[in-house]
Formats: sequence, C-alpha cells, structure tokens
Amino acid sequence: MSVTAGAATSGGTPRLRRAAAVVGIGHTDWVRDWTRARAGEKPADSYGYAMQAFSAALRDSGLKREAIDGLIAGPTTAYERLGEVLGINPRWGDQADAVLSVVQACTAIESGLAEVVAIVYGNDQRTAGTQYGGPQAMGGDAFLSYVYHSPWGLTSQGALYALTFQAYKHARGMTEAELGEVAVAQRGWSSMNPNAIMRKRITVEDYMASNYVCEPLHLFDYCLINDGGVAMIIAEAERAKQICANPVFIEGIGRSDLNRGATSLEPRLTEFYLPAQQQAAARSYAMAGAGPEDMDVLQVYDSFSVHVPLALEGYGYCPVGEAGKFLREQGVGPGGRLPTNTSGGHLSETYMQGWAHQLECVRQLRGTCGERQVQDCRRVHYTSDVAGKAVSLIYGR
Amino acid sequence: MEADTARTPSPVLGLYDRPMWDSIRDRAMRLQRCRGCGTWQYPPGPGCTACLSEDLEWTPVSGKATIISWVIFHRQYLAAYPAPYNAIAVRLEEGPVMISNLEGSPPERSWIGRKVRLVYTEMPDGAVLPRFTLRD
Repeated sequence: MSVTAGAATSGGTPRLRRAAAVVGIGHTDWVRDWTRARAGEKPADSYGYAMQAFSAALRDSGLKREAIDGLIAGPTTAYERLGEVLGINPRWGDQADAVLSVVQACTAIESGLAEVVAIVYGNDQRTAGTQYGGPQAMGGDAFLSYVYHSPWGLTSQGALYALTFQAYKHARGMTEAELGEVAVAQRGWSSMNPNAIMRKRITVEDYMASNYVCEPLHLFDYCLINDGGVAMIIAEAERAKQICANPVFIEGIGRSDLNRGATSLEPRLTEFYLPAQQQAAARSYAMAGAGPEDMDVLQVYDSFSVHVPLALEGYGYCPVGEAGKFLREQGVGPGGRLPTNTSGGHLSETYMQGWAHQLECVRQLRGTCGERQVQDCRRVHYTSDVAGKAVSLIYGR
Repeated sequence: MEADTARTPSPVLGLYDRPMWDSIRDRAMRLQRCRGCGTWQYPPGPGCTACLSEDLEWTPVSGKATIISWVIFHRQYLAAYPAPYNAIAVRLEEGPVMISNLEGSPPERSWIGRKVRLVYTEMPDGAVLPRFTLRD
C-alpha cells in the first residue's frame, strides 16, 4: 500500500537520452595513500584529494580549466570552498552524491544552464577517523534510521544490511555461501586491477571461515574505508564529440524512492527495495531503449555485498527469488555470465561512495580496462539503492 | 549510577519522542494513534503518515509482536553493549515495525516469525528500554 508517483512503465525524460557525455575522468592514487595512511601519514584532506582528482580529469579531457562552466561538489566537501580550491567561478553549481551528480549534470546541460560540468569528490574518511557506527554515525542527519535505534545497540550501516539479509535469505531461501560469491567474484576482478587496494583472491571457503562482524554478515561483506578523490567532466553531447574521440554517453536515467517506513527499516526488511528498483529500472530502460539483456557490465553500489543480489532481482537480471542461484550458477566474476563491479567495487577496489564506479563504467566503454576488459562493451548499467532510494543509470558509447 | 557504569546510548529526542520515552519509563509504552484513520505511528511524529491528520492520541500498545529479522553483533561499537548481543526487528500487533532486543533464551532455530511480548529492562545506568521476550 504505497503511494508512488508515475506508472512503472512511464519512460522518464527521453530528452536526457544521450544529451550529455563523459569526456574526462580522474582519481587519486588510493593504493599509495592507503599505505601512507596505515603508516600514520595524512597525505591530503578531502579538498586535497578532490583537487588531485579534478586535475587528473582535466588532463584526461584535454580541456583548459576555463572551459568548465558548471561545478557539482560531492557531499563530503563544502561547495563554496571546493570551488575556491579549484579556482572555478561557474555559471551553475550544485552539491550531490555520486549518481545524482551525474543526473544533475545531465539536466543542467540539457536545459542550457551549463555546457561543461565538473563533478568532483574528495574524502579523507580513513585518516579523519570518520565513524559510520555509534551514536554520532555519519549520515544520521540525513537518515534518521542511522541513529534512531542506538539505545538498543543497533548501530552501523553494516548492521542495517545484516538485518536486511537475514530477512531476505529467509524470504528467498538464499544461503550465506551464495552471498559469499559476491565478495569472491569482486576479488577476482580486483586481482586484475592495479588500482585496487585489496587484490588477493579469496574462495567461498575463505569467506565462510572469516569472522562475522554483524551476523549474518562476514568481514568480506563489508566495504573498505579509505581516503581518495574522484572527478568526471561531463559535456553537452555535440561539444563532447568535439572534445574527444570516445565520449561515453548517458543514455538512461531512472529513480524511485522508498521513504515511507524508512526509519523503522520497513523498505529494507519487508520489500528489500524491490518496488523502487523495479520502477527505476523500467524508467531507465525505457529512456535508453534497452533492457537488462542489453547490458554488458553491471556496476552496483556495494557498501555491502547484499546490494548485489538485491540489484540482480530488482533490475531484472534474474527472477525474484533466484539471485542466490544466479550468483552460484551463472556468476558475476571473471568468466561469469554478468560481469559485475569489474574494478572490485567498494569491497575490494576503493570506497568512494559510488564515485569510482562511474569511472569504471567509462573505462569499460572506452575499452581501457586491460586484463579485466569486457570484450565489445557497449552498455554499462550503474545501480544505486542507498537506503531505498533507487537510481538507475545507463551509459553507452 | 556508578562512575564506571556504561551509559546507555541516548535516544533521539525530537519534539514528539519525549512522551513515548516518558511512557516507557512508566512501563506502559504509548504510541501516537490517529483519531481519524486509526493508524499507529512509529517513530513519533508531527502527524499521521497515512492521512496527514494532526489529531493524534497517545495510546497504550498491547505489547504483542512478531520477529521479522534479527542479527548478532560480534563486534563492540558502544560501551553499554559488549559483544555478542542481539538486535531484533519486530512488527507490533498495532502495525509499526520497531527495533529492539530479545531478552531471555533465544530460539533454537530461525527467529523469524516467533511471537514475542514487550518487557521493560532497567539498564545498569537506570535507563529503561522496551525489549521483547518469546511468548510461545
């Protein structure tokens, strides 16, 4: 009994289909900075990482800084100070998370408010000791569920996904070993990624033998916490073709939010985000004129491995109730049916809160992924369902 | 309260939460119920999430609930909660889902679907928490 805006089959905003394209990507050396942070150094603050990533993206695009007329700051830096550090006075600006930064850039470009937009993220969460659990948990001001249940000891976003997975595996008949296939697959990918922090391959046996953090989730189900920065430059489609030979277009966008009952965790515990994912999927597929069978690579926001089976079902990659079987029999790792989180994702490459996933979408479509490149990659699907806010993005060549 | 007693994590005390915590301290938990459509609210809020009426009445709950999920923490995050300890999600007979803990002996097999009843636990620092215990 939920009130939902728009029918599941409505096609979103077709005007945004291929209205804008990625022309530059950049990121910091988080492998080097991981080592430095563990040695007690602080290589940079959030603004420093953001600046390094922006400079790298600018170099990748071949553009001069003066070409940037739109700026979107990620959620971990103040917009004004970031613009000051980067020396940009844009004609349009905003602040958003990873996936919504891409969406906002497309809408600003399509409406003519900007032509070349930089989206920039920096986060010193490791060296700053950012807490994602406890009474002062990060994000508690935006999501009441992150802090509301602390009198009962329920804290940390991992615990929220542990509660989700417990109910989900009961409802679907999935096993812990089947969930373990996610972490194993992503290590398979990250072992081929020189920019990944965790590269040692693991087996399902290693997974099952690892400690529980919050049962039923094991250590390998949790994302890394590391410092770093990511930037992308997105340009109006015709301009993008002039800027570079291999622009990566945004072809489909869909969103659906579950807010009702969110503090009590109902969308996670009783629906597993499914209605939101299905509607976001339908909208983005309609805009792109494609379906799950047309996607060569899937990228899933994976703060916890649990997001992957939820996404497989919610975005139509397998029937509802069969994600465990899909993970075990079809596979999402190297050589599997559906290459998923081919950089290693948050679990094994870097925890850039969805930002680094956008880079991997672009690299797979440019064909620059080296050993882990998916052959003849034409479409990549990025999905995010943080706290039941489902967003689906389709990138294409 | 002794100096070395771990403090129970403070509840979020927004404008509408305080009457609920007062009723918990009195060991008779009340939640807001809409006088118009009858919908129970949790967490407490400014109005009825079902019909937007602001005419809510603090009403005692039956204390009957069913477990819909559970976890065991194997890592300590909070001074008052040394590991291992559990957390449960229950659906109250009145409708809302609530996060709490299961007191007493745990079920031998799956916890999901087990009937529970509300009890009140006084923590070492004197805080009172609504918790649940197996009913069948």
